[in-house]
Amino acid sequence: MDMSNPPRPSLERRREINWHLPAPYTWRTLVLLIAVAGLLLVSARRVDIDKFLALSAEAIAAQLGLRESSQVGRGLARIGKDLFPITLSYRTDVSRVADFDEAKLPWLAYVETVEHREYRMNPDTTKLEETVSPKKVMVEPLGYLTLTVGKMIETIEIAIWATILAVLLSIPLAYLGAANYTPNRAIYAIARGTVSLLRAIPELISALFLVLAFGFGPVAGFLALGLHGAGFLGKFYAEDIEAADKKPQDALRALGASKVRVLRLAVLPQVMPSYIAYTLYILDRNVRMATVIGLVGAGGIGQELKGRYDLFEYGNVGTILVVIFVTVFVLDQISARLRARLIA
Amino acid sequence: MTSSAQLCGAEGQHHPMLSFHGLTKQYTDGVKALDGVTFDVPRGEFCVILGPSGSGKSTLLRTLNGLTSLSSGCIAVDGVELKPKSLRSVQRRVAMVHQQFNLVERLDVAQNVMSGTVADAAFWRVLLKWYPKSLRERACDLIARVGLDELHLTRRMGELSGGQQQRVGIARAFLLDPDVILADEPVASLDPATSRDVLTLLRDAARERGTTVLCSLHQLDLALDFADRIIAMRSGSIIFDGRPDALDRSTVASIYEGSGLEQSRVAA
Repeated sequence: MDMSNPPRPSLERRREINWHLPAPYTWRTLVLLIAVAGLLLVSARRVDIDKFLALSAEAIAAQLGLRESSQVGRGLARIGKDLFPITLSYRTDVSRVADFDEAKLPWLAYVETVEHREYRMNPDTTKLEETVSPKKVMVEPLGYLTLTVGKMIETIEIAIWATILAVLLSIPLAYLGAANYTPNRAIYAIARGTVSLLRAIPELISALFLVLAFGFGPVAGFLALGLHGAGFLGKFYAEDIEAADKKPQDALRALGASKVRVLRLAVLPQVMPSYIAYTLYILDRNVRMATVIGLVGAGGIGQELKGRYDLFEYGNVGTILVVIFVTVFVLDQISARLRARLIA
Repeated sequence: MTSSAQLCGAEGQHHPMLSFHGLTKQYTDGVKALDGVTFDVPRGEFCVILGPSGSGKSTLLRTLNGLTSLSSGCIAVDGVELKPKSLRSVQRRVAMVHQQFNLVERLDVAQNVMSGTVADAAFWRVLLKWYPKSLRERACDLIARVGLDELHLTRRMGELSGGQQQRVGIARAFLLDPDVILADEPVASLDPATSRDVLTLLRDAARERGTTVLCSLHQLDLALDFADRIIAMRSGSIIFDGRPDALDRSTVASIYEGSGLEQSRVAA
């Protein structure tokens, strides 16, 4: 054998290593997948996914001209017809305006004379007769839009104050509910419990009860949103404190700094970007929720929406929906920019 | 048997800056990080603790400012025994330079240096990060002293190199003019050339002010070049204590024996 040529390590040689490299998937993965699929199928029946598919197919078929009409299509068309054209103007019977003076109308307003039709019983014939009389109506062309925008601003104000309340409440909750800063286990448990409880109660439900306590109006709305937001922020603030890099905290602790001081100088700068992100998210969410919360009488644009909806004034409902949509869209843009600016 | 308090307390009029007596630290998992460590450090000395990873260097340093508690033994700083009651006052006289710099990533250089006053300043000042003019000027002087310039003041840590960050760490340590600086592997995450620069800075700044430095290192060459005195540790015990020139090959071999660093270090 040629000794100057040492044997090359061959693939055969490697077989001597008897390692076991586990496969990424096993038969258990397959069984699990089948089980999950089965459960989803059962669940799909329960939430009428089949009905959804059938109706959607019908709607698509109607669009393609394969069918005359579809239930979904008819429904959507009705909504469209009811909501549009949206009502921008505000019409008031002149006789109902206190101290009406045609020379001093509000800005843009004008007076319109309309035929007022009324059915009256004729006492002689005891039959209903239609009587037509001219009636003056004051029209403010953008009156309803102005009112809606005002309500929307009120809604945003509710959302802002709810966010302020949420932040103020969640700061102590986060401090007491962060495992590495809490004074003791009992306080930690109480803080975390409070946070979970606050988060567990849906805003709409707590608003319902807060309306009973504080009466109709924005107070119930901002409290309901603020408490729920505090539950969310308290949890996420606390978890970020726990996850913050320990090394700078160690350094300040070594100098004899108290917990609160370490928190201020070593933890807060670290967690600030995510705190801003959470808070902006809550503000964003509060604006959207504040529009809904009025449905139970807790102030804001939702209360107006509910009122108009109940009176079948769908044109006004349309205006409200458009205003909500535009507002949410604009606030989205603003908060995206704010985020980019603050988290640098 | 004499109590440890007596051993640590006043040993006559001239007590050393640091005095360690019979330090033992056993972690809850049973690992004995320190096993009867006893030595004194005179004022103004640059004392290097040399040893491989896991020899107890870090634990030793961390016992001095309360980051790690002792199982037994006692420590005195300038004749004051370290007790829970005196811990705060000792911590104000002992500053630390950390291996990973331990600076706040999202604060700028000036704020990081001024955070050295965290335990001393009024609470509202800490809350607002609004420090008195004298402190701000002192921070600037120190930042200049460690070789950074005005442009760096408002830079965040993430924008600086490792060497620059450790310079900031050193500036922070000197902020309150401490009697003792503990440097826990201050150059372990730096390249060799930067390591020398940073250690030179630390040694010179300490000499100017008469600050006592207790510095742990695992690089023999750096220890030989910078130390006034080397204390070599292995498995929680001191196996050499003396001037760098007294350290011979066989001692060095025994420090790193079986640690995997043996060949490279002895060859160096």
